[in-house]
Amino acid sequence: MKLTTKNLALCAVLTALALGLSTLENLFPVSLVVPLPGIKLGLANIVTVFALYQLGAASALGILVARCLLGSLFAGNASALLFSLMGGVGAMLVMILLRRVRGLSIYGVSIAGAAAHNIGQIGAAMIVLGGTAVLGYLPVLLGVSLVTGTLTGFVASLLFRAMRNIHFTQ
Amino acid sequence: MTSKRSQPELKPKPLDALVVLAVVLLAVGAAWLSYGGKGEGALTATVKHRGQVVAQVELSSLTEEKAVSIDGAYHLTITLDKTGAAVTDSDCPGQDCVHTGRITRAGQSIVCLPEQVIVTLEGKTPSADVILG
Repeated sequence: MKLTTKNLALCAVLTALALGLSTLENLFPVSLVVPLPGIKLGLANIVTVFALYQLGAASALGILVARCLLGSLFAGNASALLFSLMGGVGAMLVMILLRRVRGLSIYGVSIAGAAAHNIGQIGAAMIVLGGTAVLGYLPVLLGVSLVTGTLTGFVASLLFRAMRNIHFTQ
Repeated sequence: MTSKRSQPELKPKPLDALVVLAVVLLAVGAAWLSYGGKGEGALTATVKHRGQVVAQVELSSLTEEKAVSIDGAYHLTITLDKTGAAVTDSDCPGQDCVHTGRITRAGQSIVCLPEQVIVTLEGKTPSADVILG
């Protein structure tokens, strides 16, 4: 993708949107319902999915990294950076690969991304806390990721339907 | 430009079920790894703070509740008793550790990420031989 002013501005807007969505979902924490650290709706993942399909892998990865850096800066929590980066980059890599698979819809890609996000976060927790005790959370987190992945896939599919006739990247 | 853009498939397809199946299998695998092992010895609670073991207690040896205090950037109170463990008080912002509630079975754990505290139960979960109604 050529780094034109238009593309740069588009990436910046999407980064801001992702940050806004993360902040929004922090106001309504899912962890009140399922009391486990790290459980989130993953609304910002909608932006990632959208950027991946519309702008390509490189831009999507750039938006993701910028979102993680700025997000942890806003939250003022450096250890959260490792969690969001390992989760986010893991999800991104899986979605970049699965996007190419014919016969997988946006739902499958999104669910796999959500699952990979949780696996990355558990990996980060195993590094930070040292030891495999947190592995016990993974089954629950993966179960939740089926729901949140389907939800973000659904929202992204609505978005793509609405955007079908808007070609803003040309 | 068109080579990088791809229109996603917007309706669920049969192959998506395979992704769901893979996630379920992973979950079952992880569950088996952490809860499936046949523990040995008495049920023991281990409290780790920033990688250091600060308390290790064989639960059946307790005759009354035992409180373990963690002092760092945040302050946690962990209460251990004969059958389980719980973080009963914490001043961390998330409160996930307190909301996790009480753990009673081997393999379970309570995690406080901001203070890097982890409470784990290891050993063999005592099973009830007879349940009297």
